Amino acid sequence: MKLKIDEQRCKGCNLCTTVCPYNIFQEGRKLNERGIIVPILDRPQRCTNCRLRHLYGRQLCGACQMICPDQAIYWVEEDPYSEESVVIEF
Amino acid sequence: MSTRVFEKWYREDRLPHIFCTGCGNGTVMNCAIKAVDTMQWEIDDTIFISGIGCSSRAPGYITTDSLHTTHGRALTFATGVKMANPDLNVVVFTGDGDLSAIGGNHFIHACRRNIDMTVICMNNMIYGMTGGQGSPCTPVGKISTTTPYGATEPTFDLAGLAVAAGANHVARWTSYHTKELTKAIETGLSTEGLSFIEAMVQCPTAYGRRNKLRTVTDMVEWMRTHSILLQKARRMEAEGKSIPEDFFTVGEFIHRQRPAMGVKR
Repeated sequence: MKLKIDEQRCKGCNLCTTVCPYNIFQEGRKLNERGIIVPILDRPQRCTNCRLRHLYGRQLCGACQMICPDQAIYWVEEDPYSEESVVIEF
Repeated sequence: MSTRVFEKWYREDRLPHIFCTGCGNGTVMNCAIKAVDTMQWEIDDTIFISGIGCSSRAPGYITTDSLHTTHGRALTFATGVKMANPDLNVVVFTGDGDLSAIGGNHFIHACRRNIDMTVICMNNMIYGMTGGQGSPCTPVGKISTTTPYGATEPTFDLAGLAVAAGANHVARWTSYHTKELTKAIETGLSTEGLSFIEAMVQCPTAYGRRNKLRTVTDMVEWMRTHSILLQKARRMEAEGKSIPEDFFTVGEFIHRQRPAMGVKR
């Protein structure tokens, strides 16, 4: 799984930076085309849900997704040959 | 496949919503929808009702049937819906100005009748939509446009009011405590009779801006540090200590089984 922020929905409130236990979300620096500073992801492969969702078969952690007031955080399935690979820890 | 939040329940074409940056209403919506989703209610059997205010825009973003009613009268419309068709699951979104100021009387009588519905009050301590006027829940000493020298009146303890008026399940959490809030809403939904959940939400635009909590994270941090668990507050009271000023209690206030109205037997 891969963590994503929907840039069309995010309003740049930076609430996700306060709740993530791994500090994956960092305050961004660049304005996007909507004039909003979207948080940047720092090594998103550390995310618990990305790593272990398939192993447990259910949603794990998900604090960022629940607190996001704009419903902008989501996970996508990864292609097998994409550049950012997910390291699965057992 | 992507895992969005409860795609089924949100009207994706209406998003992003009009709430300000970092408004806690979106978080409370997430929690409420997660709770409703866990209850496995059908979209056709659920109805969200709201009054007027920032928080009352919420049902507009949810796929179920919804009523956006007059100011303070969300509970009266909800009563009507429940009486007309007891099969429907009724959830009311309301704000502090909506519920405690203009709709105060409806609220106590809905609690007294103990109608089978869930009331989620998003208490942002101010009238956000109209420009930051002081509401009955503005804490003492805090600045709003109608209290430029600090509010002087004591605040309304909505959870305490609901307990006294006879609601079956009463809880208060903040938008920082998403897990607990979701669980409280879930318990409320499964309880017969009126369940009242007060969710303290941040309002950085109208409230925080005037009270030195300008950024969203500041305001959430304020809620985290100034909330005190009910059990701890009771223990402190028993020991004769007083709860510090501008702290508020969070937790489950009551869970009881008074006879409820509008339940099909």
